[in-house]
Amino acid sequence: MNFVESRSLEFEYIKYDDETDSKMSVKALRGVDIDVKKGEFVAVLGRNGSGKSTFAKLINGLNTPSGGTLYVNGLDSSKEDNIWDIRQNVGIVFQNPDNQIIATIVEEDIAFGPENLGMEPSRIVKNVDMALKAVSMEEYRNAAPAYLSGGQKQRIAIAGILAMKPDCIILDEPTAMLDPQGRKEVMDTITMLNKDEGITIILITHYMEEAALADRIAVMNEGRIAMQGRPVEIFTRVEEMRSLHLDVPQITELAYAIHQKKPEFPKDILNIEEFIDAFKYIGCADDFSYVKENKAVKYNKPILEIKNLTHVYGMGTAFEKVAVKDIDLTVGKGDLIGLIGHTGSGKSTLIQHMNALVKADAGNVYFKGKDIFEDKAGLKFIRQKIGLVFQYPEYQIFETTIYDEVAYGPKNCGLSAEEIDIRVKDALKFVGIDESMYKKSPFDLSGGQKRRVAIAGILAMKPEILILDEPMAGLDPYGRDEILMNIKKMHDDLGITVILVSHSMEDIAAIADKIIVMNKGSVAMYDSVDNVFKEPDRLTSMGLNAPQLTLLFKRLRKEMGLDVPINVYDVDEAANILISAMN
Amino acid sequence: MNITLGQYYPVDSVIHRLDARAKILATIIYIIAVFCADGIAGYGLCIAFLAAVTVLCKVPFRLMLRSLKSIIFIIIFTVALNMLFIRTGTEIFSFGFIHITTGGVLTAVRLCVRLIMLITGSSILTLVTTPIALTEGIERLLRPFKKIGVPSHEIAMMMSIALRFIPTLIEELDKIKKAQMARGADFDTGGLVKRAKAMIPLLVPLFVSAFRRADELAMAMEARCYRGDINRTKMRELVYGKRDIYALGIVILLTICVILLRILL
Repeated sequence: MNFVESRSLEFEYIKYDDETDSKMSVKALRGVDIDVKKGEFVAVLGRNGSGKSTFAKLINGLNTPSGGTLYVNGLDSSKEDNIWDIRQNVGIVFQNPDNQIIATIVEEDIAFGPENLGMEPSRIVKNVDMALKAVSMEEYRNAAPAYLSGGQKQRIAIAGILAMKPDCIILDEPTAMLDPQGRKEVMDTITMLNKDEGITIILITHYMEEAALADRIAVMNEGRIAMQGRPVEIFTRVEEMRSLHLDVPQITELAYAIHQKKPEFPKDILNIEEFIDAFKYIGCADDFSYVKENKAVKYNKPILEIKNLTHVYGMGTAFEKVAVKDIDLTVGKGDLIGLIGHTGSGKSTLIQHMNALVKADAGNVYFKGKDIFEDKAGLKFIRQKIGLVFQYPEYQIFETTIYDEVAYGPKNCGLSAEEIDIRVKDALKFVGIDESMYKKSPFDLSGGQKRRVAIAGILAMKPEILILDEPMAGLDPYGRDEILMNIKKMHDDLGITVILVSHSMEDIAAIADKIIVMNKGSVAMYDSVDNVFKEPDRLTSMGLNAPQLTLLFKRLRKEMGLDVPINVYDVDEAANILISAMN
Repeated sequence: MNITLGQYYPVDSVIHRLDARAKILATIIYIIAVFCADGIAGYGLCIAFLAAVTVLCKVPFRLMLRSLKSIIFIIIFTVALNMLFIRTGTEIFSFGFIHITTGGVLTAVRLCVRLIMLITGSSILTLVTTPIALTEGIERLLRPFKKIGVPSHEIAMMMSIALRFIPTLIEELDKIKKAQMARGADFDTGGLVKRAKAMIPLLVPLFVSAFRRADELAMAMEARCYRGDINRTKMRELVYGKRDIYALGIVILLTICVILLRILL
């Protein structure tokens, strides 16, 4: 018998519409058929709202099926009596680490599940020991979760599930809020649990590279399973994946692009190792050489200058922490700069200084040559000219209509009603929100739409510099692309100077001209995209990474002596170069 | 972000290892002792006891002083008030309407010492007990009252969740405030009505977020088989050991001595 067996599984819930004051039933699942074998690692992909999380909650018994059947470990999940056995057997790890840790001490949190099961205290201690060891967090046994990094918190959440000795763990976008280092920690833990402990894993994710590690992928769309198969089978259906608002790993995309022009090159490739093997098999011309000049760095007229900036949190207390130290930076007018750095590297503190939200303990920030703190009454003007979009900006939404939400900023600037109206309409149009939506509540929108409204709220203030803190976090691949293209358009069409904070090196490489690398509170590098990504090892040592294509080309140079440039970030360009290099 | 209640100082000491219930009861008895204390001998005894516990619990002295920082104004205020208005004993200083007497100084010093002893004593409780153990201790102490309808488990669970989420929500509020300031919000100027109105952009997102967090947390707890007090065990079951009985014995002895001293002297 399979561990999970679902047949035409349905789930619907009642939604209340405030406007019409009517009830409406929404079908989140419309007949899901899937089997998961014991010990298998299954990745579930799907755009936002495709029913992935609903499905996860059904398997764990948090939701009860409204139609069809679902057997978990041989137990019928529609029977109330089985719920507790199922929940013990199938643990679930959620996206936000902060909202699933219950206790203030690590070991007490891990013990929470076993305690609920009524285990003997001596057995709880044994299970907690085992779980801490499994996620390599033994030394943090007595730590307070608040002081751990995101990756560590998620490992604690996994340990909390492990201590209940489950056969299966479901992870619902466990890495969405983590930096590259934290993502790697969590993914290593998951694969280890699957390979060494034989635990069945169901991983919901928006990261295609993570899904590629699974034994099997199930793609969900509109409450159904749209595709199912091994990662190579799924990811080689590039067009179909795109039509479902999804993506494929960049390396697979590259292999696919080459395969289309040169069919002897295999398209079923998931990672760099496989790519290199395939490339070696086909062979390349010995005397091949392709030189691509580094993109010339434009030095624009300075618009924002930061001199000797230092900021210390909790100065003089036991919790004193230097957030940023001796930062010197110049941002040119019209630049599009990527800002990267591990969690806690000082990125957030740095950008909050740029529009005077935080006052420096030492050093100055100059906007167009003028110290931004010089004139306290001018702070509003500064914040209007230097817009800052916080992470998860939709969490700051408060108005009753979309229109009013976007008008909040311009209103605070003291503009005339006509001017506000023009700006609100322009901003919403720019982010693709239709006029028919203006009177709707922003709280009713989907995640991606909410985010675009929130960004429009800043855009309507007509900033000259726009700083965005991970504006793509938590969105599905399609939503990510949409925001990314919007940002590029703001820069190109509206002439806004942009600083983009992101954990995705591919996204930065796709649109930025220059990159600032923050490490431990200092600027480690500030150079052109080509020069920064030239040193992947240095980036790795700072908990970062280089884009997949750069890593691949670097390996091709090293292992095959192939003279290819490493400053290629576009899949089609990379495919053309490699095709011409092949025999 | 200093929530004194969450100031647990993690070291291993005789005091740390005591049962949470014993620590709570001992603190209550100690407070009674302090209130009963009178005269140098009584105060001396209490101070000696406090000093002994301070040394035994291995918490740095400055951490205890920090808890005093928050009440420094109350101390100064009471001291000043007593010195100014108590007119017993002989006068030692006078300037205009200010008359300071030996009686006033004595009362002020006494009150000041008493306040310091109370605050330091109770802050030791929070320094040597994890918030979870503390709530658990309260739960167990309240358990006998369950029969008359006191939901001891629920109270304890709510307290520990509140403790866990206060820092998170403070952080969240700070983030929302900055985000609205980035949209030109102004929280510091204008009249009362304007300022109250300016709070809406802070409070709506904060409540929305608190509800979202509560919802997610409830789900995470349910997913980990939480169903209230039914069939629940504890990893560290509170058990009264010999040392807990000794500890309580010592505090009770202290109180008796203090009372005897008061009667005898």
